[in-house]
Amino acid sequence: MTYLAVAYLGMLVAIALWTWTVVQRSRRLDERLEALERADRGGTEATKKTDG
Amino acid sequence: MKWGEALLVLGFMGIGSTLLLALLWAPSVSINAFESPAAQRIFYWHVPAAWAAFIAFGALFVGSAGWLFQRSEWMWRLHVAGSEAGLACGLMAVWSGCVWGQAEWGTPWDWTDVRLNSFGLLTLLAIYVVLGRNSQPDGVETRDTFAAFGLYGFVLVPLTYVATRIWTIRHPGPVIGTGDEGSINGEMGLVLLLGAISFTVFIVGHMIASMRLTALEQRLESMLSMRDGGA
Repeated sequence: MTYLAVAYLGMLVAIALWTWTVVQRSRRLDERLEALERADRGGTEATKKTDG
Repeated sequence: MKWGEALLVLGFMGIGSTLLLALLWAPSVSINAFESPAAQRIFYWHVPAAWAAFIAFGALFVGSAGWLFQRSEWMWRLHVAGSEAGLACGLMAVWSGCVWGQAEWGTPWDWTDVRLNSFGLLTLLAIYVVLGRNSQPDGVETRDTFAAFGLYGFVLVPLTYVATRIWTIRHPGPVIGTGDEGSINGEMGLVLLLGAISFTVFIVGHMIASMRLTALEQRLESMLSMRDGGA
């Protein structure tokens, strides 16, 4: 029963890690895209001010 | 929390509950019928993992066909999600099967058994598609190549499904959907059903999260190339 519990828990930890990786990658990409969009907006506003 | 992530958490909780029920609540099998009755409890993980792998390989097939025939970005994202989910579930089914095989048969693998080898090939195909795609630059030729593997590799799914009905060599035959009462009682069936539902919810959540991830990566890549082009 011990080796069975170890095998089960090993697989549970493996899918937890896989899930964590997907969620973290998704959050990091979200943050990066938001930062890029902010930078683009900032650049456009600065250009408008210079033109005005 | 996003829709896919909510399904992931729900499915993961269900899988954890299945694990607890399988170890602590599900009745033991006859000591006369099995060499290692305790190891039989891995069945509550092995069968739902294989079921989820079939769902993922189905998604891989649909996504591959959709990319090849419609050139749809959404279908390509389904191909990516299906191959990754198929790989994870395939590895879980193979690994849990090896653990049981070692305890019950005295060997983790049997090279003469059709079910074992066709499912092993499916998992190898998923490894090839995932690793191969990640090692190549994204483009129409790369996508066509891996979509063709996803499309034609699917033939192994029905073969794997019918293998124990046609060639019962070593892998146990079907216990449900056999037309008669089957060999599992009510409590066993309940834990197996909970496992199957949990794995289904989990893998659908994973595919939704993975498709969103691919969309974000594509958006980031196009934004960066626009910035590079504009600079």
